[in-house]
Amino acid sequence: MGNRRRGHTHAPKTPPLSLDTHSSDHEQDVKHRICMVSDFFYPNMGGVESHIYQLSQCLIEKGHKVVIATHAYGDRRGIRYLTNGLKVYYLPLQVMYNQSTATTCFHSLPLLRCVFVRERITIVHAHSSFSAMAHDALFHAKTMGLNTVFTDHSLFGFADLSSVLTNKLLTVSLCDTNHIVCVSYTSKENTVLRATLDPEIVSVIPNAVDPTDFTPDPSRRDNSKITIVVISRLVYRKGIDLLSGIIPELCGKHPDLCFLIGGEGPKRIVLEEVREKYQLHDRVRLLGALDHKDVRDVLVQGHVFLNTSLTEAFCMAIVEGASCGLHVVSTRVGGIPEVLPDELVTLCEPSVQSLCDGLETVIARIRTGNVASPATIHRKVRTLYTWRNVAERTEKVYNRVCREPVLPLSDRLHRLRSHCGAVAGSIFSFVAVITFLFLLFLQWLRPDHLIDVAVDSSGPHSRLGQHVSKKTSKTPNPAVS
Amino acid sequence: MVLKIFFPQCCNIADSGLLIGHWIPGHNSAVVLAVVHYPFIPGQVKKYLNQMQSQSQVHLTVLGSWSMPKEGKEGMDSFLKDLSTIFPQKCWLQLSREIGKTGFTCQVVQNDGKLLQDRKEKNDDDSSEEDKIIFVHYDQRKVMLSQLHPVQEVSQKSEIEPSELRLVFQTVAQSQPLFFLDKYDDGPLKLTHWQSEGREASIIAELLKQASVPVCIFLTWLLSLWHWFCSFRILHSWPVLFISSKLSTCVQSGYRGVHFKTVFSPQKAATHMDFMRKANIFVSFLVDIALGLLLVSWLYRENRISKLADTLVPVADRVAKELQELLEWLMGAPAGLKMNRALDQVLGRFFLYHIHLWISYIHLMSPFIERILWYVGLSACLGLTFALSILSDIVALLTFHIYCFYVYGARLYCLKIYGLSSLWRLFRGKKWNVLRQRVDSCSYDLDQLFIGTLLFMILLFLLPTTALYYLVFTLLRLVVVLFQGVIHLSVDFINSFPLFAIGLRICRPYRLAEGVKFKVLCQEPGTPLHLMMEINPLKFSSVLQCYRTPTYSGYPKDSWAALSKKLFVGELIYPWKQKTTKTD
Amino acid sequence: MMGADSGPGAPAVPWRKVLYERQPFPDNYVDCRFLEELRRNIRVRQYRYWAVVRETGLIAQQVSCVAVFLTLWSYMEQGDLEPSLVLWVCLGCALLGYGLYEILGGACVRERTRLADLQSATIFLAFTFGFSPVLKTLTESVSTDTVYAMSAVMLLAHLVSFPYAQPSPPGSLSLNAALFGSVCLASRLPGALHTFTMLSCALLVFALWPCLLHRMRDKAEWSFPWAAVLVCLAGVGGLGSLWPEGALLLSLALLTLTLLCPLLLVLLQRHKDNIHGPWDEAEIREDLSRFLN
Repeated sequence: MGNRRRGHTHAPKTPPLSLDTHSSDHEQDVKHRICMVSDFFYPNMGGVESHIYQLSQCLIEKGHKVVIATHAYGDRRGIRYLTNGLKVYYLPLQVMYNQSTATTCFHSLPLLRCVFVRERITIVHAHSSFSAMAHDALFHAKTMGLNTVFTDHSLFGFADLSSVLTNKLLTVSLCDTNHIVCVSYTSKENTVLRATLDPEIVSVIPNAVDPTDFTPDPSRRDNSKITIVVISRLVYRKGIDLLSGIIPELCGKHPDLCFLIGGEGPKRIVLEEVREKYQLHDRVRLLGALDHKDVRDVLVQGHVFLNTSLTEAFCMAIVEGASCGLHVVSTRVGGIPEVLPDELVTLCEPSVQSLCDGLETVIARIRTGNVASPATIHRKVRTLYTWRNVAERTEKVYNRVCREPVLPLSDRLHRLRSHCGAVAGSIFSFVAVITFLFLLFLQWLRPDHLIDVAVDSSGPHSRLGQHVSKKTSKTPNPAVS
Repeated sequence: MVLKIFFPQCCNIADSGLLIGHWIPGHNSAVVLAVVHYPFIPGQVKKYLNQMQSQSQVHLTVLGSWSMPKEGKEGMDSFLKDLSTIFPQKCWLQLSREIGKTGFTCQVVQNDGKLLQDRKEKNDDDSSEEDKIIFVHYDQRKVMLSQLHPVQEVSQKSEIEPSELRLVFQTVAQSQPLFFLDKYDDGPLKLTHWQSEGREASIIAELLKQASVPVCIFLTWLLSLWHWFCSFRILHSWPVLFISSKLSTCVQSGYRGVHFKTVFSPQKAATHMDFMRKANIFVSFLVDIALGLLLVSWLYRENRISKLADTLVPVADRVAKELQELLEWLMGAPAGLKMNRALDQVLGRFFLYHIHLWISYIHLMSPFIERILWYVGLSACLGLTFALSILSDIVALLTFHIYCFYVYGARLYCLKIYGLSSLWRLFRGKKWNVLRQRVDSCSYDLDQLFIGTLLFMILLFLLPTTALYYLVFTLLRLVVVLFQGVIHLSVDFINSFPLFAIGLRICRPYRLAEGVKFKVLCQEPGTPLHLMMEINPLKFSSVLQCYRTPTYSGYPKDSWAALSKKLFVGELIYPWKQKTTKTD
Repeated sequence: MMGADSGPGAPAVPWRKVLYERQPFPDNYVDCRFLEELRRNIRVRQYRYWAVVRETGLIAQQVSCVAVFLTLWSYMEQGDLEPSLVLWVCLGCALLGYGLYEILGGACVRERTRLADLQSATIFLAFTFGFSPVLKTLTESVSTDTVYAMSAVMLLAHLVSFPYAQPSPPGSLSLNAALFGSVCLASRLPGALHTFTMLSCALLVFALWPCLLHRMRDKAEWSFPWAAVLVCLAGVGGLGSLWPEGALLLSLALLTLTLLCPLLLVLLQRHKDNIHGPWDEAEIREDLSRFLN
């Protein structure tokens, strides 16, 4: 398997053992060919989707070649090109539940192999543990002898049966992944525990927001009243039940308070019931689902940003809120305490009483004028999280991963057996062997050297955007064709 | 650009002269309609063209010149070339035939006098694709009479641009007034074009056309009388309306009335579709009457009516007997099924009493049946469809007991199914929320639960008995419905079958065109390509689809799945039920 | 510099668990404070053996209730019991139970008026009496084995779906299953009056007794174990008079249920290993329904 990979690497690489510091400047010109795999990508909208897009754009800017593989969304199938020659494969895989594909460990191998070989991929980067396609890709990439990186975007509990099962699967999936990226330290602890990993191979690289998209505009505020903005999906995990308790509690005490709630979901009915019961139609506005471009327009209308999540790996929403110059009040759950410095956020326990107390102190401070101006807050937040920084740190992960050897099948089986327990280990060793045989069969059916090599649309040999890699001034916008 | 010239076949051997025709706007093609023979006076030609243009609404122009070489007429060429100055045109076509050659040549002169194409020069290096000329020969009569499908009326402005072919067809069809000028007429101009042979012979047809107008007016008046009669208030009271909507004879007569109204309207059919509809209905009507008379002549010979009446009563008796036996079988242990004995007996006796009533009714009727049949048979004079409709009604009346059984069984079964489904929800502690259209959980009181469970059990254990009765009677009902359905289908077939269109398609295939095909006539080096345009007749299936008279009653509109679902939950099924009547 | 591979040169500043600050550690740095917020078994309850045994009494007595009901039916089917006698006893028990229920409930606010109770009782009696001839003939054509199998399944369903955590009012499914089973059994009895008697018994045992028991558990806690033991003894005794081997089996089952299972539960608690940390989904502990009702 190693032969195939070496056959396709174009640049002379540092030998795996040389870890000296002077090799680092040599690494600067190692350009990778990366394939991002996840079930979640545009036209689906969400944190993972924009993370993949922005990270890919910054890596292309740095001169790497990036392609994205996801499943077909309705009519959107085949290959699409996004801004700066970012190539997206929409593979015809069956969607099972919640935009995640079904997995059988085998059926996606022919397609993914085709993508990896055509694009001469050196590193496979899978995203999100909810994505079956990402796990499939990790497994197949190992079978094909490619190095893998995995980014985990979510937190899991350990209490119930379903999480026991998913954690076991994650253990198997990550057991021979070269490096794992988590978005916060809490997320790292969680992932290390779930997948029983060596913490040394888990890096923490936070998400980022585009500060130019979220700029404050105090003129849009109505200063005769105090507006609390909530923007989240209206589901249980986002603590909408808490919000339904906070609204009547605070509206009763402060007649000049109003709520602006953006988002859609099954818990909307709870909010509507509260609004009806307490006759708050003029003070609680439900905006419904928001486009990403409209979020800023809603944010700048408020004074306080409220986040009631019950669990969160890294809360992008509070960074966006703070970037628009709002005072953030949030629950102290998951990775949220790590995200913003204490002067920018008021952290509360996840209960109605505690959140009301926190909000009231902030309201009192706003009334006395004892608050930082939106521009000050924005200035503080602006430099905290940038995509370019994320890309730089991810690049280092790639450089490290690149130097690691890929385990041959026998070592891989041994590792599976020793790492994942006797039962699951044996089962997945068997699956690994079958997948390997399937791969041999596919290679016999259509040898690698007969598969057409795709024309690069990004990276050092790009036909499209030689000029693009020079242009570093502007952060790209998500232009979905 | 390829220049296409549509050339009528009849002008192939015309004398030299001027080509009259029409440039198709937006396409680089010209339709030649006629040839004006030499000699002519240019002023008169222009006047004639203006006159024709106002009649036909087609922009007629002089396209160019036509030269047919004959002995002693040399030097014509140069003369014809000069004509282009008299009739100023953007493009001047010069067609000429040569003796001994099948094809003819063409020269195109732009109005600046420059020779656009000259075969002698260009043919040597025919690498230049852009200015080729193709001659398309067409049969002027067929093209004029044919209607290109799908039909697109000239009057209605549609969004889609009509195709070039359609424009050609339209041009030829509209310039019909041009063709009225006879070859033998004395006039200042002599033309060659298609000639209708023997317009005089069709004098009978002309007379009929003239006579049809007063006849139509008279019939329309009669129809309005009938409508006036129908509009009596007494006929709109509920029972009459209900019964007449259920009797297929009444439905058929109403239907016929609508047909007559269409056919005998004194206005001339404006569009092709109107004309075809009128013709179709008229021919169907004639055929229907003819078949009906045939039936009458058969029925009233050899005392067939009384024979029929003599067999009808025993048959009805026999059916009743069979039903009685069936019920007795059901009241036992049918097919070894274990039914609730008490309910079984109750239902069985109830139905037996019904049959008893029915038999007495039939016997009461038996002396009058022959008389009734005799009068009913006369209705066949109104057409076969009427006879069939009355037959359907008679069958419905004679199997009324089966219908009653079916309705009782279905209602009982339906009640049980609905009761069981809602009690099953109660059994599980759920209820149906009508406002949110979903099943909610609900905590019931003890007494509600208790009574609910008792009723659930009773319904559950009685269900097989009811279901069996329902099944048997539904099968019987389905047989009747099938028979009535076949009759309705045949009536519908006669009413809606486009006989005229089919006849037209068989006898004059070119009248209904679906497209054209081209055949290469000759491709000599040195002459442009000559194609023959032939008309593709419309497929029979398309004829049926296009000209079927829309019907109001008829086919079972439910899909099979919907039908079986209806049968399963015990909803009533009817052969005459129309989807349109229950729009709410 | 940050980065996965930066050398482990010990920096002077201590590591902090924050993301907003650029720290002089590599991205994959593992501090000694890694996983310091990990907690184990924080929400594990310590069970006391006898308390658990007490709770299992509810299950045991419900099983015994079914046994008592079956015994009654069996006697009636053999004709050893006069339905009128059973009816009188039932009436007595019902009145006694109602009185007890009222006395125990004394202080608390009544949800139903006495008139509503009387109405319900009338409806029960009237419907059962009216329907009993119908119910009697209902399963006539069904074979006896089918009826027995059906009632067995239904009584089992009653036991499985019984809401042991909140026995009053009895859950819809469990009560309906029990009634279904008892109607099936009652329809095999010789007369309509028998059927009526049997259904009244079923109502008493499956619907009213759990309510009374629940109130006893609430108001007079000392009485609950005695009542449970009494019912268990009645079940075993009744079955014993008909089928001694069955009684032995039932008593074994009851003993396993009440003594062995709790023992296992308490002993196995030791092996519990539950991980908690900041990643756990927060629980909403307050009662939020007050805002809506």
